[in-house]
Amino acid sequence: MVGNDIVDIAQAKKDSNWQRPRFLDKIFTINEQYLIHNSKDKTEMVWRLWSMKEAAYKLCIQLNPNRFYAPRQFKCFIENDAGVVKFKNFSCYTETKTTSDYIISEASLKPSKLSSEIVKFNSLRINNQSEILRRKLILSASKLHHIIEGKLELKKDDYGIPALVVNDNKMHISLTHHGNFGAFAIA
Amino acid sequence: MTNQELIAKLKAIVSPYIQDEEAFKNLSEDTDFVKDLKINSANLVDIILDIEDEFDIRLENEDMEKMLDVKSAMAIVNTKLAG
Repeated sequence: MVGNDIVDIAQAKKDSNWQRPRFLDKIFTINEQYLIHNSKDKTEMVWRLWSMKEAAYKLCIQLNPNRFYAPRQFKCFIENDAGVVKFKNFSCYTETKTTSDYIISEASLKPSKLSSEIVKFNSLRINNQSEILRRKLILSASKLHHIIEGKLELKKDDYGIPALVVNDNKMHISLTHHGNFGAFAIA
Repeated sequence: MTNQELIAKLKAIVSPYIQDEEAFKNLSEDTDFVKDLKINSANLVDIILDIEDEFDIRLENEDMEKMLDVKSAMAIVNTKLAG
C-alpha cells in the first residue's frame, strides 16, 4: 500500500498564504512550526510537511477506511528526505522529493524509495487532469503487471479511496494532483 | 439565522476556493467540499479560518475533523453560536 501527495510550489504560493494568522497553528504541531521557522526556505518546509501529512493520511485511510480532516494530528518527524508520520496508533515512513517546481511525498508501511511517476499537465482544467492521470496510471499498471489496459478499471469507494480493479482483484494505488503536476503510485 | 441565510454565508466563504462551478451553482446542504466542489485540502484550512472570522468563533480539532461538507459546517457553526 502507498499514499502520495504532490504540491505545485507556484500554485501553492498563489492559492495559500501560510503566513495568515492561525494558519500554521491549525495544521502543524509546535515541533513542526519550530522546524518551519528554523528553515532556510520556510515555504518549502511548510509544503514538505503538508505533503507528508497528506501522503500519510491517504495511506492511513486505506488501512482504516474513513474520511476526516485532521492534519495537525499527523505528526511529522524528518531526517533529510526521509521521514516518519504518526497518527494515533498508525505510523508510516515517508520519502520526499523536492524540485524547484514541486514537492512530492510518498508514504509506505516500510521504508521505501519514492516510486511515484510524475505527470506534468498542459491543461489546468481539473477534469482533464484527472482523465490524463487515469490514462497514464492504467497504461503504467498494464505494463507493470502484463494486463490488458481494457481490463483495468479505476474505481473510488464511498470514502473516495481509489483502486485499480482487475476482474475482482483490487490493486492499491495512490493518485495526487495539484496545479500543473500530478503523480500516481502503484503499490 | 435561518438555514438559508447560513448556507448563503457559507457559499460566499467557499467561493474563492471552488474548482467545480457546476457543483457550486447547485450548492446545498448535501454538497461535499472535496468530492463535489473539488476544493484543495490545503484550502480547507482557509475555509475553517474564514468561518472562524465570519462568525467570530473558534474551531477545535474535533470540529475540524468533520469539516468536509456543507451539512457538517452548518452543524458546527450552529453548535458554536448556540454555545
